[in-house]
Amino acid sequence: MTDRAIQIDNLTVRYGRNTAVDNVSLNVERGAVYALLGRNGAGKSSLIRCLLGQQKADAGGVRLFGDDVWQRRAALMQRVGVVSEDSDAPPEMSVGALARFCRCLYARWDQAAFETRMQHFGIGLDDRFGTLSKGQKKQVSLALALAMSPDLIVLDDPTLGLDVVARKALFEEVIGELADRGISVFVTTHDLSGIETFADRVGILQRGQLVLDEDADALRSRFRRIRFTAQPVALETGGLAATRMRSWGGGAEAIVSNYDDIAFERFRAASGVSAAEIEPMTLEEIFVAVAGENGGGR
Amino acid sequence: MFAINPADPAPIWRQIEEGVRRLIALGALSPGAAVPSMRDLARDLRVNPNTVARAYTRLIEGGVLTVKRGEGTYVADTPVQPKKSERHEVLRDGANRYASTAIAVGADLDDAVDELQTAFERIVREHRRRA
Repeated sequence: MTDRAIQIDNLTVRYGRNTAVDNVSLNVERGAVYALLGRNGAGKSSLIRCLLGQQKADAGGVRLFGDDVWQRRAALMQRVGVVSEDSDAPPEMSVGALARFCRCLYARWDQAAFETRMQHFGIGLDDRFGTLSKGQKKQVSLALALAMSPDLIVLDDPTLGLDVVARKALFEEVIGELADRGISVFVTTHDLSGIETFADRVGILQRGQLVLDEDADALRSRFRRIRFTAQPVALETGGLAATRMRSWGGGAEAIVSNYDDIAFERFRAASGVSAAEIEPMTLEEIFVAVAGENGGGR
Repeated sequence: MFAINPADPAPIWRQIEEGVRRLIALGALSPGAAVPSMRDLARDLRVNPNTVARAYTRLIEGGVLTVKRGEGTYVADTPVQPKKSERHEVLRDGANRYASTAIAVGADLDDAVDELQTAFERIVREHRRRA
């Protein structure tokens, strides 16, 4: 028995001369919420396919609950619920029929939990899948994934195209499940609103490489946006690292990735330059600063 | 109850811990009052239940909250206020942080004290209005 829900070791996926996933290693502890961020084309989809045992890695591999997912896919997928960005079903099929279908596939199916959620979302079991809104389809898809009583839920860009209300409802369900059953969550997204307070670890995938893999609290505590009214400034004098520096006529703005008050005070004393503003950053802003302007895709 | 600020550099468990302590200190939560279950608070604040659990554990160990088995979590009948020395330490910590931010942006002492006073009064006022 391992404490890890997911263990990815040196995962590499190539398409011809293109490397989509480049030697990625990361772990997700049981009960943890891991958010993998990356812009389109960063390699998220390839990584997810390997994670779900749908694609064989060119090198390295993925273990779920200690077992190799490529070798033990069928058994492991009984324990993994998936909500993908293009969750789909035949439009003529009713929600109830969908549930009956899934019930046959999953040994730990919880019909009562499914029906309670549908009632809560205001979706009837007789409703045809094709007549549902985008948000409702996502809700059905989540309810199906949770009804199989998973130990791990994989949310692949779950909020794509959802409005704020639908997004909130979706995450509330996941949080409830976290509290009740202690499941682990792996979510990929390029839209952090809604997830940034409940992800406890964050990874950033950029051109196939995991350029960041860190505790969310630690990340928030070390990044700052500093605005100066004078320029140019040498932040290195305080031992501060500027990941990005922008200057304009009368001032400059720096994103500092290792901020602390003492280092900044040292810089200030040495340079005599005062900052106009020092702002903490949301994970969303940190993601933009890291995966930034020249593109996380290819 | 209170909100989590995703841009606050303080860890979320600490924001929760301080939020609960503040509600008690301001009288919004009375001794013996029930506090939300970890599940409800997690959903409400949209944070990981483990994060709420961490904050609650610290509050329980600190004598601020008590658990009644099978019932739930409550504000202690006589919630333990931080000891004078502890309070001092917390204040000094916060003051150091605030002072260095103020100096960094080139504020003088009067400006800094004014801002502090305004913030203090605003927080107390907002709680009164909500209560």
